[in-house]
Amino acid sequence: MSKHPLRAWETSERVLESGGFESRQRVVVTEPAVEPSDSGARWLGVTYWRSVAGFTRGVVRASWREGGGRLKLLGGANLLTFGPPAVAVDGDTVSCRYAIQGGLLALRPGGSVTLAQRAVGSEYELTVTVEEYLPTLAARAGAPWWTGALYAKGQSPFHAAVSRRYFELLVRGRAA
Amino acid sequence: MRATVFGATGVIGQALLPLLADENEVVAVSRGARAAEDGIRWVEADVAAGEGVAAALEGADVAYYLVHSLGARDFERQDRDAARSVSREASRAGVEQIVYLGGLGGDDPDASAHLRSRRETGEHLASDGVPVTTLRAAMVVGRGSAAFETILGLVKRLPVMITPSWVSTPTQPIALDDVARYLAGVAGNAAAIGEAFDAGGPEVMTYRQMIERIAVLLGKRPRIIEVPVLTPALSALWLELVTPVNASVARPLVEGLRNPTIAREERLRQLLPFELTPFDAAARQALEA
Repeated sequence: MSKHPLRAWETSERVLESGGFESRQRVVVTEPAVEPSDSGARWLGVTYWRSVAGFTRGVVRASWREGGGRLKLLGGANLLTFGPPAVAVDGDTVSCRYAIQGGLLALRPGGSVTLAQRAVGSEYELTVTVEEYLPTLAARAGAPWWTGALYAKGQSPFHAAVSRRYFELLVRGRAA
Repeated sequence: MRATVFGATGVIGQALLPLLADENEVVAVSRGARAAEDGIRWVEADVAAGEGVAAALEGADVAYYLVHSLGARDFERQDRDAARSVSREASRAGVEQIVYLGGLGGDDPDASAHLRSRRETGEHLASDGVPVTTLRAAMVVGRGSAAFETILGLVKRLPVMITPSWVSTPTQPIALDDVARYLAGVAGNAAAIGEAFDAGGPEVMTYRQMIERIAVLLGKRPRIIEVPVLTPALSALWLELVTPVNASVARPLVEGLRNPTIAREERLRQLLPFELTPFDAAARQALEA
């Protein structure tokens, strides 16, 4: 049994009034996974992208340059492009945010992915939040019916599974 | 205070000795005989064989452990034996603190053999009860640093680089002078006794960004093509062909490049606050050395 089990796993998704998608995954842990500092915030981001690569066995991997990153399929197609990490520390809350700038899976630039840790009472909540993202594969007027199915049955559960792996890796790394 | 420095002839040791000699009595340990320098007495010892270690530690308050066996076929065993030898003799000599420079990324559950060995060396050093202060660093930017020389060799010799996916791994290189300053600063520091600290540089970057920034300093514009199918063994052989670094050193280094080597905490920066050297300035200094 894991020394630091993930508790209170939740995943949710909704369409905002703007038409953008909001997706959120969270767990609760007893010990902080990172310290409240810029370094701690950066570690959230680094661990997230490692989770993506690990979950897909390297098929999907982030590649970073000055100015941002690209989530690549087999080192080629740009699935999503991101701005540089924006780290923030406010008391016990620490976060690392990446602006979505485009890519094959984004209908238009906009939205963000935020990895965060915040104190909740004597415990800590770890979250992955995607906000105002407009997926290319989402069902929409005029689009083929199967694009919505690809998002609902493919991309959305894939994202939730990556988040789960991210939480595990984050907590496992802390326990090491 | 008397400090004994194991690994004194290495890149880090050479940068550390003058800082220590300013205020301390320094015993520098080498496998071969050396003449005394200002404030530094050289003694012969071989930590791997355990020879001369007890004499080198006689009367020491602090022992620096800057030794590694990278390049040896069985580096994990050699590092373990050497660390245990120093731990045992330090305990007998009544040493109050061992200061060890390990590597970032060693705590990673998927750490490479090299990074795991660096972490375990710290544990072996602590096995006889002497409190160990561990500083964990990523690449040290300085002339003679194996990792820095590897990157430099790539940039200098290749206009086009076919690189494995490790070029996208984030790292937090630190200037040689800064890591030496940190090492000197923790000696005898009550807040550092028995503690482990991440010693990151001021900037986080990928190896790709590092290659590009060194290239700018050298007036070059290499083209980098990232491929997902280069194994560590092939990468090491390829590095041996195009850089001055031996494959036996390159292989464990390359395997470690898959692990992010960035600081997770900033306690050392709070304990010893000073302005860290930006990467470009550190690299420029190394190129001019």
